[in-house]
Formats: sequence, structure tokens, C-alpha cells
Amino acid sequence: MEVTVNKVLDAKGLACPMPIVKTKKEMTSLEPGQVIEIQATDKGSTADLKAWAQSTGNQYLGTVEDSNILKHYLRKASAEEEKTETKHPDVVSLDDLLKNLDGNEKITVLDVREPAEYAFGHIPGSINIPLGELEHRFEEIQNAENLHVICRTGNRSDLAAQKLTDKGINYVKNVVPGMKDWTGPVETKQ
Amino acid sequence: MRVAIIAANGGMFDAYKVFNIATAAAATDAEVGIFFTFEGLNLIHKEAHKNLPMPAGTEHFQEGFKKANVPPVEELVGMASEMGVKMIACQMTMDVMSLEKEHFIEGIDVGGAVTFLTFAKEADVTLTF
Repeated sequence: MEVTVNKVLDAKGLACPMPIVKTKKEMTSLEPGQVIEIQATDKGSTADLKAWAQSTGNQYLGTVEDSNILKHYLRKASAEEEKTETKHPDVVSLDDLLKNLDGNEKITVLDVREPAEYAFGHIPGSINIPLGELEHRFEEIQNAENLHVICRTGNRSDLAAQKLTDKGINYVKNVVPGMKDWTGPVETKQ
Repeated sequence: MRVAIIAANGGMFDAYKVFNIATAAAATDAEVGIFFTFEGLNLIHKEAHKNLPMPAGTEHFQEGFKKANVPPVEELVGMASEMGVKMIACQMTMDVMSLEKEHFIEGIDVGGAVTFLTFAKEADVTLTF
């Protein structure tokens, strides 16, 4: 699986607690929202990094095993996106999104999370354009019908929905809260 | 999270127990304090901590430490210190063993039982090794 990341940390050959200590150090150099790949051979690192992310409020995306090397993906949390305050007026719930996906009317799901988050689980058929790239990749979706924008918590998708509306796209819906509570069908990038 | 640790033993295994937990906790944004008492003082003694004894009959594990690429105690101590782990040497034991503050690594504090208790009172996790 190819995953786009902002930084790669080589923690191969290191024993506990070094992968965690190194991760902590590297995380301070990341901007909120950026993704890091941690390469480790310590078998305990999967459970440890999951727990570490939970304790420190960061986001654990997943782990891929690649010829005895564990590649862990973490996203640095940003305080902003935990706020649920939304400004785009047209919102739909996850239940409604599920109904609309099964309905007769054609809808397009736009996932504005980072590629690494998308890779570890997204709605089948959804298009991935990270919020930060929406400005210059706008053409890819300008003709999409009935756009449903989703992220993890509803915050980035809110900003994206506002941006798309400003660009003149009608009927843009922000899906809330987002993938963190999604129980519908999920596809993983191979 | 606040973690309070008592280090009362001075072997190499004891050093790993203490400093692995301490550095992992510090890396997880915990406030960590270690109270070194009796043989535990070896773990921060300038010379002694670089060459701590392994328990009798376990010398064959030496190879295992190398194979698992476990960092030397010295490195863990340095990391703990760098990450702001508070290290308190027990005044009473120092007096008994005729040790002075300059016999220990840089950056440690010296204190009594109440110093540790005051820190531990608000701790979420308290451990003794």
C-alpha cells in the first residue's frame, strides 16, 4: 500500500521504549494535521504507538507490515478540528448519507482527509482531495453532482464545503460528524 | 499524567525497569519524578551507573541485550534527564554512604522522604522498583 506522508522516521532495530521516545521527538517538528510514517521492527511498537497516540491526543491511522518491517502511520492532532462548531448551513448526518448512497439519486462523496487517513479506510467510490489541495484541484469535482463532503470529525469538511460554495457549486452538503463514527461500508486502499 | 517512581535497587535490570518506564512516560507527556534511595543511588552515580552488575547467574543475558539492541543505561539516563524527568537522590542514604551531590550525574536534586511524598501525593501512577 502506497501512503503519502510528510515525514518518515526510521526506528528499525530499536527496542522499547526507543520507538516511542523517537516518535515523541519527531512529532514536535510536524505541523498539526501532518502525517508521519514510523518504521519499526519492535513487535511491541504497534500496541505501544496506538496507546501513545490515544494518551497524547494524536491520531493513529494504522499499521502495514512490509517484509518484517512495521510501518505505523500517525497524524498529528490539531486542536482546531476537535471543535464541532460548523458554519456551512447544509449538513447531513451519517445515517442520511448512508440512505443517499443507497438511493436512486446520484451523489458524489468527497473525502477531504489526508491520503494516509483515506488509505486506511474510506467510503467505497469516494474521491480523495485533501483540504489543503482543494484550491488547485478544484476542476476535478466542479461538475460533480450532489456533493457530500466528509472528513474525520466534520471540521475540515465544513471548511471545504464553504470553499466549494464560494466557488459557485450548489447543493454542497457537509457530512457530520465524519469517518470517526462511520459504520457503513468501508474500503481500504490496496 | 503524573508518575512517581521509587528506585531502591542498584542492579542493571533495576536500571532498565526504572528508566524504561520513566522515559516512556515522559514521552507520553507525563510529569515524572524518581526518588533514588539505598542501592538505587547506583543508578545515578556518575561512575557506577555506567557499569551496573547483572544479577548472579544471569550474565548470559548480556548477549540478549546486544541482540535486542537495548540502549546502554547511560543513554537512557541521559534521555530521561533531557526529557525533564525529575531525579531526587535521598539525603539520608547519601549521608549513610558518605556520598555528596557531586558524586552524581548532572541535574539531580537532593531531598528527603517528604520531598518525594509531596510529589507522589498528586501522582496518577506510583511504582516501586
